[in-house]
Amino acid sequence: MVKKLLASFLTASLLLGVCGCGAASAEDSGNTSQGGTDSVQTTVSNADPSEPVTLRMAWWGSQTRHDITVAAIELYEQQNPNVTIEYEFYDFESYFTKLKTLVASDQVWDIFQLGGNFPEYIDKIYYMNEFIDNGTIDVSDIPEAYLKITQDTEGNQIGLSNGLNTYGIAYDVDMFKEAGVPLPTDNWTWDDYKDAALKISKATGHFGSSGLASSEFIAGCSTYIGQQGNVGQYSFFNLDLTGMGFSDAQMLTPYIQMRADLINAGASPDAGAEMEITNIENDFLVTGEAAMTWVAVNQFPTIYDICAGEGRTLALATIPRVKADGPAGSVIQSSQMLCVSQDSQYKAEAAKFIAWFQTSVECNQILKGERGIPVADSVRAALESNLTEGQQIMYDYVTLVGTFATPDKVNVLSPNGQDEVVDNYRNYIQQVVSGEITAAEAAEKTYEDAEALFK
Amino acid sequence: MQTEVVKSRVKKIMNSNEMVGYVFAFPFIFGFICFSLIPILTSLRYAFTDFSLGSKTMEFVGGANFKQLLTDEVFLKSLRITLKYVFISVPLKLVFALLVAYLLTRKTRLQVLYRSLYYVPSLVGGSIAVALVWKQLFARKGLLNSIMGEMGLDPINWFGDQKLALYPLVLMSVWQFGSSMIIFAAGLKEISPTYYEAARIDGANMVQSFVNITLPCLSPIILYNLVMQTIQAFMAFTQAFVITAGGPDNGTMMYALYVYNQAFKYNHMGYACAMSWFMLIVMCLITLVIFKTSKSWVFTESGD
Amino acid sequence: MKTKKILIKIIYHTLVVAFGFVMIYPVLWMISGSFKDNSEILRGSLSLIPDELKLSNYATGWKGFSKITFARFFANSFFITAIATFGTVVSSSLVAYSLSRIKYRGRKIWFTAMLATMMLPGQVIMIPSFLIWYNLGLANSYVPLILPYFCGQAFFIYQMMQFMSGIPRELDEAATIDGCSKYSIYTHIILPLLKPAIVTTVIIQFYWKWDDYMGPLLYLSKPKSYTVSLAIKMFADAASTTDYGAMFAMSTLSLLPVFFIFLFFNKYLVEGIGTSGLKG
Repeated sequence: MVKKLLASFLTASLLLGVCGCGAASAEDSGNTSQGGTDSVQTTVSNADPSEPVTLRMAWWGSQTRHDITVAAIELYEQQNPNVTIEYEFYDFESYFTKLKTLVASDQVWDIFQLGGNFPEYIDKIYYMNEFIDNGTIDVSDIPEAYLKITQDTEGNQIGLSNGLNTYGIAYDVDMFKEAGVPLPTDNWTWDDYKDAALKISKATGHFGSSGLASSEFIAGCSTYIGQQGNVGQYSFFNLDLTGMGFSDAQMLTPYIQMRADLINAGASPDAGAEMEITNIENDFLVTGEAAMTWVAVNQFPTIYDICAGEGRTLALATIPRVKADGPAGSVIQSSQMLCVSQDSQYKAEAAKFIAWFQTSVECNQILKGERGIPVADSVRAALESNLTEGQQIMYDYVTLVGTFATPDKVNVLSPNGQDEVVDNYRNYIQQVVSGEITAAEAAEKTYEDAEALFK
Repeated sequence: MQTEVVKSRVKKIMNSNEMVGYVFAFPFIFGFICFSLIPILTSLRYAFTDFSLGSKTMEFVGGANFKQLLTDEVFLKSLRITLKYVFISVPLKLVFALLVAYLLTRKTRLQVLYRSLYYVPSLVGGSIAVALVWKQLFARKGLLNSIMGEMGLDPINWFGDQKLALYPLVLMSVWQFGSSMIIFAAGLKEISPTYYEAARIDGANMVQSFVNITLPCLSPIILYNLVMQTIQAFMAFTQAFVITAGGPDNGTMMYALYVYNQAFKYNHMGYACAMSWFMLIVMCLITLVIFKTSKSWVFTESGD
Repeated sequence: MKTKKILIKIIYHTLVVAFGFVMIYPVLWMISGSFKDNSEILRGSLSLIPDELKLSNYATGWKGFSKITFARFFANSFFITAIATFGTVVSSSLVAYSLSRIKYRGRKIWFTAMLATMMLPGQVIMIPSFLIWYNLGLANSYVPLILPYFCGQAFFIYQMMQFMSGIPRELDEAATIDGCSKYSIYTHIILPLLKPAIVTTVIIQFYWKWDDYMGPLLYLSKPKSYTVSLAIKMFADAASTTDYGAMFAMSTLSLLPVFFIFLFFNKYLVEGIGTSGLKG
């Protein structure tokens, strides 16, 4: 069952396709639209174009994302006078809490945003194959390979990707220079990172590294596992999401120890300070109180612009490695996707909006790749000709990560119940900071919690 | 003739105590069954299952949820935190309420204004708006720390230290002593001035007459406030949810918040129901203890 | 001797006022924040007087989100609060009359049940109630937020019973002799005399319901149906740092109705509770 839910695994060839940014060739041209027919349970009548339709849509994100998404929605409503879109936006945690109550009452928004945790909501997702097959929506502009990143192994089109994405560390160039710390290289290590954070915090009195908690677990902790051994030897969860991808809990210890050390040294925010970060736009890096922070790179152009407005320069560094010549552990993935809900009365209309949102050049000139590098060829081409500095850095960075050696198959999904594991993990770090437990115990506990998900 | 008889019979039935009593009590009986009894019993049933929102099936898991409670570190911590919160905030709140009510019995033209002033926090304290203000007051660079800074003291990282984080919440609860105060004020008005008069003739000072007259006369009201405030404190949710979200390291993970998280964030409804039931038992025990001990300190007027 | 008395008086008033000022300082700070520039709020400025009076916070805040202005959220809150308060007053007074004035079999049981509900922690029934409403298909509506209030609220039933015990039974007896039924005793004698207790109920229930956050959080899913408290939280979550002023502006507005109700009925409040005695 679980296996059936899994989205397709990215192949190395796909990553090279990203580097070309446009010339992606779908090498694996498995017939994507055939397997999904059994998922079509209800027939959807194509709405009369003049009939008024009200769609409900929701997403999570920062203020910038809210503003541009609303602008895009308004443009769509203007072009389709019969469609009204009621939108809601939340911060990440509230979004999923709300979604769960809606799942319970069968009232999920017509159009909703999901990330790697989609398996938990699979019952509520209406596959889009039907609309692609019958021509309701035209996705020919999206290369096969990029359609695949939001399909399961059986070719069911779960949603359409909002963009390509990967994790990185954004940093303030001047703060590094001020502290006399060398700038990060493409294969810097966690030791370099820790060293830099400590030195900067000592020299400037600011945090060396901020700790936007929601992405740290995936970008830091779980990447740390993938970086050990040979390429593809370990992963946090196994490829089928049926168990753990490593067996020695102590592989986590050095990482947890480092996090705790940084907090204890005042080089990273403690729980009280971290509580003040509600989204990337008031992260300590952006407010000038930290030299580095974790980002999903689609967030980078926004904060780059904010900081540039204050005369500061940001840059992007790779996620540090365990060993300079070891695996990078980073992969390029779909940032999030938009899905059609099973509960929707207007599934075809919802699908049309999603297709427009991902493939319309006009729309994406408003969205500006804030959710990641767009997947549609024409959109990408249009945006590339007119990149801002921040976007250019993001594009270059994604190209760079694409050149790293990656395993043939990677799993970018989260299993059911990961939220609780992450919350506990964060608390264990607090306990290491306060000396209640050791890093080795914290690693052990985190491993046990994660393992318990599969029992 | 016959209809006449029926009519008077109907009238008699309608006016019988049984009928009138149940007609008037009907809203409550209906509500009690539908909104209290049935949910409580359903909750008990779910407590023995692995029920979760959205999933259409559930399995009977026996006492597994209750067994898990005993080993769940977060649960045990939240229990400890909540008890600590109750035991600190309730007595403080009642002491404040009583003292201020006592001070404000002094007859002045401004009495109503003063009472209103002290009642304002109770009036607005439960709102989300004030919770957000509170968060800002105690933030690292918030109001409180800027006062400390001006006095040349080191700032306190309220929400960064799990030993401290609970106190802003306690303070917020104590701050809202107004509603208890008004109830005390009402009680104080009932105490016959002749008692104080007699005490003064006997040479008792303020403190003595407070201890020997005010406290005993108010004891039923103290009991009432104690029970109500204890229950309310056990249910505290909004403050922790908005201000700290339970952190740091679950240092403010109030019981109600953890139940909410298990139910809606982690989607373990069955487990959350088991926690709710455990809560019910704890509360019953505490209320029982309060009532049992009250016999020794609550002063009842004879014949009442 | 006289100067000493005046001195004590001055000290007393100064103390009471000073402490009262500290008490309401957070509220005043919020109100002044609603006129402040964002950067001024974030500096943690103590001052209650804004550097410059920024009225635009109100305009920005009022716009709300999702094309829904705060006018809508206020209307929703008023609707729910007014109906629930009305329901509480009517049903609680009925039940209180039954439990305190009429002797019938089963009364003791219902009285005990009423006391038990008063002490029942809300969390115990929160989830099963949600599931029941969900199974009835009403989980996303105002019904769960309103209907239970028409079934009497234990806290207010208890208060009204206390109050009624102060109304002489001779009045009922005289009315019965005059041929009044038990129904008209309620409407003609008890209800008019109950006024102070009703006012207390209105105030307290109004602000409890107005401030309620958990209920709307669970049961309302469309922004159009949000109450003010829910809207403010959403506003605060979604907004980046730029919107503190606007958030405080809306928070200030959200407290106004409660203040007005309180000012309007204030002098009844202490009396209402006062005459009810609340003797255990």
